Amino acid sequence: MKIGIPRGLLYYYYYPLWRKFFETLGAQVLISKKTNKKIVDNGVKNTVDDACLPIKVYIGHVMDLKNQVDLIFVPKMMSIHKDEYICPKFCGLPEMVRSGIKDLPQMIDTTIDFHKSKKKLSKTVYEMGNYITKDRKKIDFAFEKALKEHESYKVQIKNGMLPIDLEDHKIFKNINLHRRKVKILLLGHPYNIYDAYLSMNIIEKLREHNMDVITQDSFDTKVMNEKAAIMDKKIFWSFGRKVIGAAFYAMEQKDIQGIIYLSSFGCGIDSVIADIIERRTRRNSDKPFILLTIDEHTGEAGINTRIEAFVDMIKWRGKNENNFSTYGKNLSTR
Amino acid sequence: MRKCYLGVDIGSVSTNIIVMDADEQILDTLYIRTQGKPIETIKKGLSQIKNRLDKDIEIYGVGTTGSGRQLGGIMIGADVIKNEITAHGIAALNFVPDVKTIIEIGGQDSKIILLRDGVLYDFAMNTVCAAGTGSFIDRQAERLDIPIEEFGKWALKSKSTVRIAGRCAVFAESDMIHKQQLGHNQEDIINGLCEALVRNYLNNLGKGKEIKSPVIFQGGVAANIGIKRAFEKILGYEVMVPPHANVMGAIGAALLAKEETAKAGESKFKGFEVADSNYTVKSFECEYCPNMCEVVEFRRDEKMVARWGDKCGRWSHDKTAKDEKLA
Amino acid sequence: MKITFPHMGKTYLPVKAMFDDLGVEFVVPPKNSKKTLEIGTKYSPELICLPMKINLGNYIESIEKGADTIIVTGSCGPCRYGYFVEVEKEILKDLGYDAEFVVLEAPNGNKKEFFNRVSKVANTKNMMKIANALKNGIKVLRKLDRVEESILKLRPYEKNKGEMDQLYNALIKSLEKSTGTYQMAKVIDQTQENIESVKLDKNREILKVGIIGEIYTIIEDFANIDIGKKLNELGVAVHKSHTASGWIFEHLFYNNIGSTREKKVYKAANPYMKTMVGGHGRETIGNAILYAEEGYDGVIQVMPFTCMPEIVAMSLLPQIQNDKNIPILTLIIDEMTGEAGYVTRLEAYIDLLRNRRGKHKNEKMLSWR
Repeated sequence: MKIGIPRGLLYYYYYPLWRKFFETLGAQVLISKKTNKKIVDNGVKNTVDDACLPIKVYIGHVMDLKNQVDLIFVPKMMSIHKDEYICPKFCGLPEMVRSGIKDLPQMIDTTIDFHKSKKKLSKTVYEMGNYITKDRKKIDFAFEKALKEHESYKVQIKNGMLPIDLEDHKIFKNINLHRRKVKILLLGHPYNIYDAYLSMNIIEKLREHNMDVITQDSFDTKVMNEKAAIMDKKIFWSFGRKVIGAAFYAMEQKDIQGIIYLSSFGCGIDSVIADIIERRTRRNSDKPFILLTIDEHTGEAGINTRIEAFVDMIKWRGKNENNFSTYGKNLSTR
Repeated sequence: MRKCYLGVDIGSVSTNIIVMDADEQILDTLYIRTQGKPIETIKKGLSQIKNRLDKDIEIYGVGTTGSGRQLGGIMIGADVIKNEITAHGIAALNFVPDVKTIIEIGGQDSKIILLRDGVLYDFAMNTVCAAGTGSFIDRQAERLDIPIEEFGKWALKSKSTVRIAGRCAVFAESDMIHKQQLGHNQEDIINGLCEALVRNYLNNLGKGKEIKSPVIFQGGVAANIGIKRAFEKILGYEVMVPPHANVMGAIGAALLAKEETAKAGESKFKGFEVADSNYTVKSFECEYCPNMCEVVEFRRDEKMVARWGDKCGRWSHDKTAKDEKLA
Repeated sequence: MKITFPHMGKTYLPVKAMFDDLGVEFVVPPKNSKKTLEIGTKYSPELICLPMKINLGNYIESIEKGADTIIVTGSCGPCRYGYFVEVEKEILKDLGYDAEFVVLEAPNGNKKEFFNRVSKVANTKNMMKIANALKNGIKVLRKLDRVEESILKLRPYEKNKGEMDQLYNALIKSLEKSTGTYQMAKVIDQTQENIESVKLDKNREILKVGIIGEIYTIIEDFANIDIGKKLNELGVAVHKSHTASGWIFEHLFYNNIGSTREKKVYKAANPYMKTMVGGHGRETIGNAILYAEEGYDGVIQVMPFTCMPEIVAMSLLPQIQNDKNIPILTLIIDEMTGEAGYVTRLEAYIDLLRNRRGKHKNEKMLSWR
C-alpha cells in the first residue's frame, strides 16, 4: 500500500509523525516533490482564484501525488488545541481538494478536532490507522513510535535547527548554528517560511547576508504562551498565538535585531496578527520590522530588493550605534 | 584630471545616468527610456555621456542600482551594486540631511522610505499593483489625450475635486469615464486623478507609517506639480522636490560608489569602451528539474561573462562561467 | 458613559429603542457612508475584510460625536470577526482615541463576567429589566426583518412603482423619531399591513433569486451596494438567507437555538461540507442547495474580499451549480468595488437567468405535457 503525503501546509510540523506512523503500519510513504514551478502552476490552475497561495500550492502537491499512490493523506485539521482553531481553509481542506481535482485516489480525510478536548485523540488515530489495518494494537504501537519521532523533531527545532535544515534527513548538513553576528526573527506560517520555493529561499538569503535566522518555532513554548497571554482576548488561532508570543518575546531581546513577517496575500490570520505585531513592535521597541507579502505573481527581484534594504537598514543602524562612520553621517556632516 | 563618479539607475521604465564630481556636484544627468532593452539602453547612455563630458574627466567609481542593477553592474564593472531603497535614501539625505520621509514614485513602482536621525528606519514598496505609481496617471493621461507633462498644470486649475474611485488603474478608468459622462470639468477630473493616486499611495504604502516632516518627493512623478499639491493637501505638510528628483537613485549610487572606492582605493570600472562591445544575451530553459528556470547567459564579445536566473545555482555558480569572468 | 455600536442593517433602530427603555446614554453612529468606509480603510490593515473597515469607521465617527464606550458581540473563531476588537483597540490606541470596548461574550465560558458586562452596559443590575428590554428589542428587530423580507419579495410586483419605498422610508423616519420598543413595534406592525395591501401585478414575469454568503455583506445594504433593491428593479424577487435578528440571537446566545431551518441547512450541506468552516461557510453551501431545491432561478453569493470561510464555500459552489443545475454568481466586495462594474455583472447575470427561464418555458411548450 502506497500513501502519499503532500508537501504542503502543516507538513513542515508533522511530517516525521505522519511518515513514521504510516511506515510503521507497513505502508510505503511517498512525499510529493519539493515545491516547484509545475506544482505551483497546477495548483493555481485548479483552485479558486481567491484562495491563498499555500492552499493553491497544496492542491498542486496533491496533483503531483495522485497518480502514484493508493491513498492520499489530506486530514481535515480543524483544531489542534483546546479552544483554538487553525484556519477556516484547513477546516474545509478535503472539500476544497475534492472540488479542485478530479480522479483522486481514496483520501484519508480524518477529522482532527481537539477544540473541545483531546479525548478524541485515540479515536482519531484509529480512524487514520484503519485505512491500513484494523489491528488496534498495531495502530497504538505505530502511533507511539510516531510520537517519539515527533518529539525528537521538536527537540531539534528548539535546539535551533529549522525544518528547512532537517528535510530529507540531511540532519548533519554543515550548518553553522548561531555563529553569525546578527539575529533576525523570521515570522510566518510554516508553509510560507519553510518552503524554499514559496519563500524565495529567504532563510538562505538572510544567512548569506550573515544573519542568523530564528523563527517562532525556535522559542520555548512556555515563554511564548506567557507572552501571548498579554492580549486581552485569547487568540483563537493556534498559529497566531504562537507568532504573537514569539514577537512579543523577541521585542524584549537585545540580541534580536530585526523582525521579518512573511505573509501570503489574502491570509486572513496574517492580516490580523501581522498588524498587531507591527503596531506593537513600533510602539514598544526600536527594532526594524518589515512585512513581506507573497503570492503567485510575486517577483523574486522585488523580494530581493526588500531583503537587501532590510539588511542595509540593520547594518546601518548598528554602525550608527557604534559610532562608526555611516553612510548617513558621512553624507550629512559634509 | 577631475575625479568623477558615475551613478547608473537601471529601472524597468527608464535608465538614468548621472555624473558627479568629487565635491558631490552633479555635472550631468541623462534620462532614457529602457523600453525593455536594458543592455542597449546602457550602451546608448554611456556613449552619450562620454561624448558630452569634458575631456579632463576621469571616472573614479561607478555604482548601479534599480531592478537591472546586477546586469548593469556586471556590464559596466560597478564598484557598488545597491538596492534602490538604500540608494534613494542616501541621495535624499545628501539633499536634506534631516529628511524624515521620502516619497518616491516612479513609472511602475513606488516606495516610501522613513529615516530617523539620518538612519534608514523603515520602508515599503508597492505590492499589489501599479495603483500608486506613475503608470496609473500615464494611462489616464493617454485616455484624456493630455500630454503627461501638462497634467500637473491642468490639475492646478481645478477649483473643486471630483472623487475618482478605484485602486486599480482599470477600475479607476471606468470610474473616470463615468465621471466624464456625468459632465464634470476636465481639470477637476485630472485633479481627482492626482488625488486618487496620492490616496492609493498612502493607503498602500503609507499604512501604519508615521509620515513626519521634512518630506521629500522624488522619482519621475515628482515633476507632476498636481501630485505634489495633492500630497501637500492630504498630508498637511510642505513637500520638497529636489532639483534632480527624477535621478535620485542614480545619485545615491554615485555617492555610494564614492564611499566604496575611497575604501577600496581603486575602481572596477571597465571604461566607456564597454559601450563599444557587443553583448549577447541568450536564454534557455533548464531541464534538470521541474522548476524549468529560465537561465540567462550573458556574453561580452562572445565571451561568457555571467549566467543567472536559476534557483539552484547550477548555472550561475558554474565554474566555467567564473573562469571566463576572470579572464 | 456614552455607548456606541457598529452599524449592521437596521439594527440601530431596535438597539436605540432598547437603550431608550433602559435609560442609557448612547450615540448612534452616523449612517454608513463613503466617508465611514474611507476612514475605516485608511486605518485598518490593508487585507482585513470589509466589515471591519466599516466597523472601525463607525467607531471613529461615533467617538468624534462624543461616544466613549463601544459595545460589540463576540465570537471565538476561526473567522476573523472574533478578533476585530483586539485589532481595533490597537488602532484606536495608536490614533490617540480613548474608548473602551465592552464585548458581550462570556470569556472562556465565564457566565458571570458576561452578566457583569451586560449590566455595565445596561446601567442596571436588574436582570429582569435587562431581559425584558432585550426581549422587546429582538421582537422589534424581528418585525423589522419581516418588513424587509416582504418588500424584497413583493416590490418587483407593485403596480405603482415606488409605493413600497415610500412606505418604508416613512417607517424608518418615524422609527428614528420614536422612543422605546413599545412605540416602535406598533409603527412597524402598521407598515407591515400597509405593505401587504399594496396593489400588485401578479402577471409579471418575475425571477426568484436567493442571496447567500457572508452575513454582514448580506444584511448591510451599504456593503452590498443595495443588492436587494437593485435586483428588485431588474424584476427579481429576492430572499436573503441571513437576517439581523437571527444573527443577534446566534451571537448573544451562542448558536444553540438549533432551529429547524438551521438543521435543514446543515443537512443539505452535508454531502458537500461535513463540518463547520467558521463564519457561515456551511450555511452558504446549505442555503445554495435549498434555494435550488425550492425552485429559485438563481443564487448570488456576496462576500468581502479575503473572507476565509466564504472562500472555502466559494470553491465548492461550482460543484453545486452543476449538480443542482442552478447558476450561481459570486460577488466579492471591498472598498474599491465600483458601482458601475457591479451593476453590469448583476444585469448580465439576470439576463442569463431570464434566457434560461425562457428556454425552459419553450421546452415545456414544445413538449406534449
